[in-house]
Amino acid sequence: MRMKKTLRLATILSAGLMISQPLYAAESSERFVFVGYGDVKYESADVAGTDAFSARFVPIFLFSLNDKMHVEAELEVGLNADGETETELEYADIHYFLNDNTTITAGKFLLPFGQFSANWHPSWINRSIWTPGIYGAHGSSQAMDPMLPILSDVGVAAQQVYQVGSAKVFLDVFMTNGPRSEAEHDEEEVDDDHDIALARLFSPAASIDLDADEDEHGEAFPEVEFEATSSDNNSNKAFGGRIAVALLPSIEIGTSYYQGAYDENGQLDIKANGVDINLISTHAILRGEYIRTETDAFVERDHEDVIDSFSRNGWFLQGTFFIGHVFDGLGSTEIVIEHAQTKKVEEAERWMVGVNYWLDPRSVIKVGYEDTDVVDGPDDKRFAVQFSYGF
Amino acid sequence: MMKNQLTVTIFVLFATLLTSLHVSSTEPLSGAELINNNCARCHNSRPIQEFSMSEWKVIMPHMREKAHLTGAEVQAILEFMEIATTPAQAMNVKEVVNLAADPKEVLTRYGCQGCHQVQGAGGTLGPSLDNVISEKGRAFFLRKVKEPQFNNSSSAMPQMPITDDELEALAEFLSSK
Ligand code: HEC
Ligand code: HEC
Repeated sequence: MRMKKTLRLATILSAGLMISQPLYAAESSERFVFVGYGDVKYESADVAGTDAFSARFVPIFLFSLNDKMHVEAELEVGLNADGETETELEYADIHYFLNDNTTITAGKFLLPFGQFSANWHPSWINRSIWTPGIYGAHGSSQAMDPMLPILSDVGVAAQQVYQVGSAKVFLDVFMTNGPRSEAEHDEEEVDDDHDIALARLFSPAASIDLDADEDEHGEAFPEVEFEATSSDNNSNKAFGGRIAVALLPSIEIGTSYYQGAYDENGQLDIKANGVDINLISTHAILRGEYIRTETDAFVERDHEDVIDSFSRNGWFLQGTFFIGHVFDGLGSTEIVIEHAQTKKVEEAERWMVGVNYWLDPRSVIKVGYEDTDVVDGPDDKRFAVQFSYGF
Repeated sequence: MMKNQLTVTIFVLFATLLTSLHVSSTEPLSGAELINNNCARCHNSRPIQEFSMSEWKVIMPHMREKAHLTGAEVQAILEFMEIATTPAQAMNVKEVVNLAADPKEVLTRYGCQGCHQVQGAGGTLGPSLDNVISEKGRAFFLRKVKEPQFNNSSSAMPQMPITDDELEALAEFLSSK
């Protein structure tokens, strides 16, 4: 907790220092660039009964130390429902370009698991206003329970790129501090629950009732926290990676793996497998991911605690159609359709439709409607308009 | 724990196997083609003129890791960006200015075929240029190359310092077929 605050402060301070850099260095500087993105959203959500504007500002600081070393940091600044400013460190890492096709990364980084968290989540990139149903809310509450939160953690990673005939193969491996059990430090988190990304997993041992009351969470659900910390609660590191094959410019298919112990004794694991696709043509983009998780939990059997594992799975598929290419008068208008499902525990299904209008390649006005059908819980419908820009 | 180690071992083996598969491409890398192949995979391709060259030099390492580019590819992209943003006069290529009449050289110099097909060869980020003049007119062509965003606000086509001579030569070449 303390560590976290200190880390955050240090980042903001160093970020501040970095911003001030170009003021004296001006044009002669080829080392620093200040980029990022931001968005403003109006959302009306049925179940939550909310109807509000929200805004985010996400500065990115890029620093080229020399030809081999590159530093990057991203902060997310937003306002929560109580009007308080929330700042989150999305990543702060250093890349070391070991040779032509190998990159080593150290620090806090977005885990190369699937493509959404590392590559598609910024709002000027994501064609939908919302995160896909299988992911965490990333700044707004949502009706679907995430399979995995956005995964950003502290550790090291290595990346390799290979040219195999006309295909490219991308390999990423990482090792990080990993998740920890939510119950272990419940009290510490009372004033800080906004940035806890949770993967909520249901333990059927306690009761067969799938409708276990949400309020009891912590008892009925072993909750695994993925928030990155600078400490590790057990000696086991989490590790994983991704292998992808790309036939550029149109196809990329990847498969990912994640494994980490989340309890203090390192006995309980969470494991995840994923498959992602990205198909790009001149008239459409089709993206999707499938994720399957296995979470260990202690289960009482014959009055004895034994380890059992529970699996969940979910997927999303998002199609973007550039209708402006077909009907000349529509300029850069596109239509987005997305479907997501989570199965087994916390079953739900979601449809999203949206229309995007691009003002230039990095600024977009999105209008979207989302309809979520939760099997054991209240359904959700929401409508939103978002203006998003990269800079 | 055993399982942990097994998985790590498999990962490492796999990584080593992939290293041995490495086949380096012998073709020279075209920066425009690399932009065509990579820069619209995740987001709309950002026009080159949006940033200065000194900014691109700091942004490209960021994209190198995201897009899984090699160092040589990044270099080729930066070289193309340099050409695309530097007026021909400012470069040490006086002959090119004078001999601008060769349309093939113009196509190569500005990497048009990195993103467009001409006579069946080239990239697909933009439409084929074979029939653009017969279908949309010479005036459209001239304006489009000078001001790529005039009719499509999210166009990824870079605004290049192409000279009037070069442009005329290209228009001649593309309408002669
Ligand atoms: C694998 C996905 C991916 C590919 C491929 C990709 N980008 Fe990006 N790009 C991103 C993401 C994600 C961001 C947002 C920055 C962030 O969140 O870290 C971004 C941001 C940018 C920005 C804004 C400035 C910045 O650094 O944030 C520019 C400019 C850019 N990309 C240019 C390019 C160019 C040029 C290429 C082709 C060489 C390219 N991108 C290929 C994912 C990608
Ligand atoms: C980095 C990629 C890129 C390069 C390099 C590039 N273009 Fe383009 N161009 C595009 C894209 C993408 C489009 C389609 C979007 C649009 O309408 O602007 C386009 C559209 C066009 C069009 C309009 C075609 C039509 O049917 O509407 C013309 C003409 C054109 N480009 C000519 C050129 C010429 C000539 C060159 C070289 C001097 C060139 N382009 C270089 C990406 C590129």
